[in-house]
Amino acid sequence: MTPAARRGSRLARLLPAGAVGARRTPFVLLVVVLLGSGLISLLLLNSSLNQGSFELSRLQRKTTELTDEQQALQQDVDRLAAPDALERRARDLGMIPGGSPAFLNPDGTVSGVPAPAGSDPSADAASYVAPAEPPRAPDAAPAAAPAPAGRRPPWPPRRPLRRPPPSRPCPSPGGRRAPGPRGPRRHPRSGAPVPALPRSPRPGTPNRSGR
Amino acid sequence: MTAPRQPRRPVPGPARPVARPVRPRPGSQTLRLGSPRPRLRLIGVGLTLVLLVFTVRLLQVQAVDADAYAARANLNRYIPVTLAAERGAITDRSGIDLATTVDAYDITAAPDLLTPERIKAQGAARQAAELLSPVLREPVETLEQKLTANPKSKYVVLARRQTPQVWKKITELKKAQADKAARKQGANVLAGVNRESHSKRVYPNGELAAGLLGFVSADGQGGGGLEAQLNKQLAGKEGKRVYAQSGGRQVPTGDVKEQAAVPGSDVELTIDRDIQWAAQNAIARQVEQSGADRGYVVVQDTRSGEILSMANAPGYNPNELARADGSAMGNFALQDAYEPGSVSKVMTMAAVLEEGVATPSTRVEVPNRLPRADRSFADDVDHPTWHLTLNGVLAKSSNIGTILASEQLGKSRRQANEVLYTYLRKFGIGRPSGLGFPGETPGILAKPQEWKSSRPYTIPFGQGLSLNAVQAASVYSTIAAGGERVQPSLVRGTKGPDGHFAAAPTPPRTRVISQKTARQLTEMLESVVDDQEGTGTKAKIPGYRVAGKTGTSNRVDPQTGRYHGYTASFAGFAPADQPRITVYCAIQNPTRGSYFGGQICGPVFKQVMEFALKTLQVPPSGSQPPRLPVSYE
Repeated sequence: MTPAARRGSRLARLLPAGAVGARRTPFVLLVVVLLGSGLISLLLLNSSLNQGSFELSRLQRKTTELTDEQQALQQDVDRLAAPDALERRARDLGMIPGGSPAFLNPDGTVSGVPAPAGSDPSADAASYVAPAEPPRAPDAAPAAAPAPAGRRPPWPPRRPLRRPPPSRPCPSPGGRRAPGPRGPRRHPRSGAPVPALPRSPRPGTPNRSGR
Repeated sequence: MTAPRQPRRPVPGPARPVARPVRPRPGSQTLRLGSPRPRLRLIGVGLTLVLLVFTVRLLQVQAVDADAYAARANLNRYIPVTLAAERGAITDRSGIDLATTVDAYDITAAPDLLTPERIKAQGAARQAAELLSPVLREPVETLEQKLTANPKSKYVVLARRQTPQVWKKITELKKAQADKAARKQGANVLAGVNRESHSKRVYPNGELAAGLLGFVSADGQGGGGLEAQLNKQLAGKEGKRVYAQSGGRQVPTGDVKEQAAVPGSDVELTIDRDIQWAAQNAIARQVEQSGADRGYVVVQDTRSGEILSMANAPGYNPNELARADGSAMGNFALQDAYEPGSVSKVMTMAAVLEEGVATPSTRVEVPNRLPRADRSFADDVDHPTWHLTLNGVLAKSSNIGTILASEQLGKSRRQANEVLYTYLRKFGIGRPSGLGFPGETPGILAKPQEWKSSRPYTIPFGQGLSLNAVQAASVYSTIAAGGERVQPSLVRGTKGPDGHFAAAPTPPRTRVISQKTARQLTEMLESVVDDQEGTGTKAKIPGYRVAGKTGTSNRVDPQTGRYHGYTASFAGFAPADQPRITVYCAIQNPTRGSYFGGQICGPVFKQVMEFALKTLQVPPSGSQPPRLPVSYE
């Protein structure tokens, strides 16, 4: 054995035995994967945070915009619904304030002194209680009673005095009765009392005696 | 054996000559390395020292001074922000907003950005002013003046409390300007225009109940009226938010401490918006027609004591405080004390009836003049000796008859004074109304010991004592409510931020006169309105029984302190047999046309009462008025 060969075998003993390359690869891969995935997740986290903050500011802006719009519209509504504006509109439409109120009672009598709006009957209205309403539609089902004090339709007393227009559908004779003692019928929208329809419809000459 | 091996060694000689260390160069000495030990020691000591310094510093930073450094770091890192609490709304009795809060912006600008040196163009301020003028609705000159007044300034407020819509228009303008600047077509003159968030108090109904509601000052606190009185409930509580920031942005993962703001409560008043409007409308028109200083109308629910309306004229628009007339700002129905005049005769009559010294049909002979104290008293018209009943004295509002009746209250004038005084006090005269309104006057009612010279004779018919309009209305409500005084109230309750409605405490009730006396008084008051000879016929409402009383008093001029001009008033309630509503009207110093309460306040009473009856849907009772006799033969 040459000295060189002897040296070589000595050196070879220092090296680890076995397939060194096959063991190293998974470790390197593991490290690379760990590092890579860490980086990627950091990136994802950051971008999702940014995404979130973009979304947040977009929604905040939208909220502000919608709030502003809602407030502006509400102010418009308030301005139009203010009593001053309503009065002006009503006068534009040719309406005038009604005088003293009159009420149509369930038994057909009228309390108060009905008078056309615009006339001032205070000068000669000596009588405090109006005579009972002439017996128009005596067979009418009990009509609207004054609605309980609460939210009010405008000028409620005027309405019950008017006969419904003839075009209204009338209950067929012998059919169901108009709501009677159970209570006054309500106007579908305003909640104002509307007179019950007469049971047997008569040719409609609008009775204006109440105005 | 060696011979064959020779050729295999091409370079004979010493083995591995290249492996040999470098030979010393010619002419140099052999390098003699010193012992490594001292060097290592030196380096070791040096490193130790350095590490020691580091350690000491570390200890200093992390342990000794840690708190100070952390505090300094936090000072920069944590930003506290105040969260404004939204001010509660004031609503009427059915929940309609009378005062509410909206978002608004102050529009600011940086004048130093518009100087010719900075913008490299002339007239930039003018240009900016011209652009902003139509949006802010301010004259160009005003805006230009603001922009050029102090060219070094970086901040000037161009317009306060603008709507978000205005800011939106400005952003559009700014965008257009920036686009133009980017295309090198001139400088962006709006670059320095910015906004600051603010809240703004708005009164959707304008002048409606302005004096009552008051106003909010620039710092968001109530400055007058109910806004000041109810400030604590309305204001809510400011919140605070502390967040970590870095480079001006919030650290997403940093901790946030937030204490949410508590919004103010909504306050629901007893005011009915529609009745308030009708009252305000009626009184404003009459005050203008009569050329009067001012006027008030108070509408009160006789059963609950709730004030349905408190109207002042002239009014002001609380949305434009800058343009409001300072002398019109106030709720004078509570803040003015004046002599009520004949309206207060009803209290004298109440005392007379309650003490049992007379009945409505008691006969009173009323001469044309009555000498008392240092003067002779007269009625408002010269007349032959009238033969009136006590009812007639009130219906015709005779001063002399009232003095004569009041003298029956005691054996001596002094005794009578004391009796009358207790009744006046019981009716709430000279005492705060209980509303607690800022600036409210309790009126003036001297003690009976101080009633000197003519006073004992004038107080029975309403001169020589003063009250405010709510007190006057309350007197009539007391009679309407069967003699029981309900303390007036203005607030129905508050609705907290949690939506829970807390009703205001029930106002206290005190009995002033018996039910019988109240009924007799009501019948007498009906004669005032109903009888042909009564003074209040203008207040008649067809179909209803109305009880009321006129008043025309000499008015103390607030400037001179002497009697000058008149106070016209009318108080009453309806329906007389089942009272629901009291209306009181007073007009100060009417200068045009009639100055009699029945003539100018009667129609106001009628208008407001009719409207209130319709609004509350009060039907007439249909009973006949008693028609007590006014005179006897």
